Amino acid sequence: MSVTFVAKLWSGVAAAALLTVPNVAAAQAVARPLVVTPSPAARGLSKASPPPRARHSTGDPIEGVNRAFYSINTVLDRLLFRPLAFTFKTAVPKPIRVGLRHVFLNLNEPVVFLNDMLQLRPKRAARTAARFVINSTLGVGGVLDIAKLEKLDIPHRNNGFGDTLGRYGVGPGPYFYFPLSGPTDLRDIIGGQADGIVLPLAVGDPFNRTEYLLSRAVLTGLDQRVEADADLNALLGSAVDPYATLRSVYLQNRAAEIAEIRHGSAGASALDDPLADPEAPVAGARAKDAFDSTPQDPEPVAPPALTTPSP
Amino acid sequence: MTVSARTLALSVFFLCLAPTVAQAQDAAAAPVQALDDGLLSIMKGGKALGFAGRSAKIGPVVDRVFDLPLMTRLAVGPAWTALAPADKDAVTAAFRRMTIAQYAENFDGFTGESFTIDPKAEVRAGDRLVRTMLKSPKNDPVALAYRLRQTGEQWKVIDVFYQNSISQLATRRSDFAAALAKGGAKGGAKALVAHLDQLSAKAAH
Repeated sequence: MSVTFVAKLWSGVAAAALLTVPNVAAAQAVARPLVVTPSPAARGLSKASPPPRARHSTGDPIEGVNRAFYSINTVLDRLLFRPLAFTFKTAVPKPIRVGLRHVFLNLNEPVVFLNDMLQLRPKRAARTAARFVINSTLGVGGVLDIAKLEKLDIPHRNNGFGDTLGRYGVGPGPYFYFPLSGPTDLRDIIGGQADGIVLPLAVGDPFNRTEYLLSRAVLTGLDQRVEADADLNALLGSAVDPYATLRSVYLQNRAAEIAEIRHGSAGASALDDPLADPEAPVAGARAKDAFDSTPQDPEPVAPPALTTPSP
Repeated sequence: MTVSARTLALSVFFLCLAPTVAQAQDAAAAPVQALDDGLLSIMKGGKALGFAGRSAKIGPVVDRVFDLPLMTRLAVGPAWTALAPADKDAVTAAFRRMTIAQYAENFDGFTGESFTIDPKAEVRAGDRLVRTMLKSPKNDPVALAYRLRQTGEQWKVIDVFYQNSISQLATRRSDFAAALAKGGAKGGAKALVAHLDQLSAKAAH
């Protein structure tokens, strides 16, 4: 119950966090899409054509393809991935699963460190380095997450090249959904590729071997599928349009992560409600790009209370 | 000497100010407290109350705490203005049913969870933001922030943010868009109501 509980809070958006795999990074499409729907003229529509209607949502130019992939994934997941993941869960004892998770997380810390540095966050980089050293030694090669414990209190923090690109102003680009790997965007695809070549380039063997890469992909994939199950059920089970819900949650989550890197931890931009009330007198009329406008109060604004300074 | 006099004057000024500020903050935090109390109560009632019992208990709390008509408008977005009045009412009612059904479905047991509410409400463009934390014995704490807007005398919740980053209403707007677009101005609302009622029914099992 307790795992699901968190996810269910407001019908479970927790999946986003779980789906944002360390190597898969980035999004802000809602605010600044790279792709603009072409004008009717550009699309060569004749005068007789019906008024152009957006065939895709903002930031999702290949929505049709993505939705097809999403449907394929739904079927494959039901028939194959989920049953496999749960077989993995029953077959492998929990301490081993958690240990494996920690090992792969630990092996990614050098990539996190590198990106902490690239983002000019030396304090954070120092903590990441300390975490890596502690867990690699006291944590027996990363099997135990000693650094996370209360006394040290250095929990894992995601970071990758997708975040670094975002830090320096690169927008998320178009959104993609791929079977197996799930939601992502162009910035995160590029970032993920860069993350993936750090260890093979810096260390080489065994990190450049297909056996290693394949087993890591399978083991982390199965583990993440098991861990995300309750959250995914809660999130997608309460959605009218699961594809759009997952996209929205992914993009919002990435936008907030990038905003935090760029503007500090206040989370102010994320919490500034991006929605406009369609019934609000003026703003509602031009609410075409409602996503990046602050909501307008439909109620008339009350005059400020008179202040009578006491002598 | 002058400095200390000024400091004193300033302190007195702020001390006088403090109660008013505190009162305003309480006004926005109170509905959030009411919601959290209501949720804990149906969680503790759990299976014994049953889905119907939990719905009956949380329904009035949801009505009091949330500005459901405004939330429906925000979730539907620009398409709202094209809807017929009867459709607007139907969508709002279906949105309300779904909200209550999903709370009743999801909060069906208690395993030591607790809520803490930050007493300092933040002011945001006329709205207030109340930050809360959900703590549970087995999991990491979860940050939930509530955006409230004043209607008349009351502060009502108009949006919920998960981990300070994901807006429930932005997600819902994305979720509703396809159903609304597919049916056009006339069929869209009916399609959406059908979908929402399906979700309510699913929650009830």
